[in-house]
Amino acid sequence: MSLRHIFKHLTLTSSYGFSTLSHRFIHAPLTLLFTNINPKTQPLIPAETSLPFSHGYTSVTEPQASTLLCPYISVRIQCQKEIADMFSEALMCFGASSTTVDEDNNCDTSKELCIESIFPESEDVDVCISQAADSLGLKEIPSYEVKTGEQYDWIKKTQESFDSIEVTEGLWIVPEWKTPPDVQAMNIILNPGLAFGTGEHPTTRLCLLLLQRLIEGGERFLDYGTGSGILSIAALKFGASLSVGIDIDPLAITSARQNAALNNIGPEKLQLRLVSGNTSSPSIDEQKYDENQSLCEPVVESESEKYDVIIANILLNPLLELADDIVSRAKPGAAIGLSGILSDQLPDIIDRYSPLLDNISVSEMDNWACLSGTKKIILSGS
Amino acid sequence: MSTLKEILTRRPVAATIRLTVPAGGARPAPPVGPALGQYRLNLMAFCKDFNARTQKYKPDTPMAVTITAFKDSTFEFIVKSPSVTWYLKKAAGIESGSSRPGHVMATTLSVRHIYEIAKIKQSDPYCQYMSLESICKSIIGTANTMGIKVVNELD
Repeated sequence: MSLRHIFKHLTLTSSYGFSTLSHRFIHAPLTLLFTNINPKTQPLIPAETSLPFSHGYTSVTEPQASTLLCPYISVRIQCQKEIADMFSEALMCFGASSTTVDEDNNCDTSKELCIESIFPESEDVDVCISQAADSLGLKEIPSYEVKTGEQYDWIKKTQESFDSIEVTEGLWIVPEWKTPPDVQAMNIILNPGLAFGTGEHPTTRLCLLLLQRLIEGGERFLDYGTGSGILSIAALKFGASLSVGIDIDPLAITSARQNAALNNIGPEKLQLRLVSGNTSSPSIDEQKYDENQSLCEPVVESESEKYDVIIANILLNPLLELADDIVSRAKPGAAIGLSGILSDQLPDIIDRYSPLLDNISVSEMDNWACLSGTKKIILSGS
Repeated sequence: MSTLKEILTRRPVAATIRLTVPAGGARPAPPVGPALGQYRLNLMAFCKDFNARTQKYKPDTPMAVTITAFKDSTFEFIVKSPSVTWYLKKAAGIESGSSRPGHVMATTLSVRHIYEIAKIKQSDPYCQYMSLESICKSIIGTANTMGIKVVNELD
């Protein structure tokens, strides 16, 4: 019992390690000791017992759409300024998926702060809050109000912040609800929805610039990991004869299809295919999305269907795992571009792809990198 | 620790958001979506950034991330490695610590496990200046509060 008392006391002093940099050196060790410690911590994700270190947890997220649209509980808690920080940490320990502390009303007039916390629907909010208050040694449970979150509220809010972007001279990305600032330039109209690729991110820009250099007219282009479809649409506008976009995320395919329609690109010029990723089980995807997606078939391409230009803007690990797959879809001598990697992840990518590609060149922007090369004409060994 | 220039150009902070997101698994769904969407932050940019930075962790390890949202809809975030208790539970293969630490022992771990955990923790932004030995000591302390005993060799 005394141990717990000490724990509470020390958490009080150590929490400031997070907020004030000057105290970092003194309090961080204690913070390390006591952060997120409680024997009764509910594991936030279902844990598999007796796992050796090398195996990760099973995937938490169910098929994309259901987690996306599942309701969540949002709780607004009033508590005193001094303990707000620790209280958010304690809430996270006991089952909150996120806590937000608003800095807006940080004026001296009120001593109270608002913590907004989001819980998954299955959580018992009252139990969690009382446990959190208990672990901090608060005398009373702070007042709070619970409401169920509306799913589409936050989607709308993020969309509001999109603006027209000029990626390079003569190429603009315009959201659906805005008018293009320069009607003469090449404008790609986009409604990103929930897929990646609005044109703002450095990797998207790097890929667009690469595309501009690579496409001369009439090429077959493969967008590996198409997201919102921005690269496929851009390729067609630059003059490619055919764009194919593939992704493992059904929402991405839906988004890309909408965007193609916005830019008046028909399905014969821009083909979109949903492929099964390694982590998601194909049966679930097909069950839910068969009605909407008629292009769910596994992609098996013959020699004549290989591509002249391939761009893959995903993440480091998929790029390393799928290296053979990506390169095998290209014609010999075809140009391949890879992005979605941080500059310090470059050496790994270069190691993995140097036996497969020639003429490797790298462009960087804002700590993100884009690697481009041409497929070797004769691959050694394969 | 901040320079004068940094203080002068410091942007007004709108909010501090704490989240637990599985490594490499950030998606615009709840909890990320509503928490960030409220402040009009670019969700996909955060997801991409976060996923890229957590590539070196095993997929779906829960990472604590603290996001500072500024009033002009930009943001910065710090990703912290999973908590020591989480690592200890995984290493020992148990779901939760003992209910009465100090009295009831849940399980045992060897110093090798502690050493491995300490190495991972050393790359955490708050621990870089600490010697490996002191990190190990604090991990052992944590293990004690969970009822995990540390022995030299596991038999």
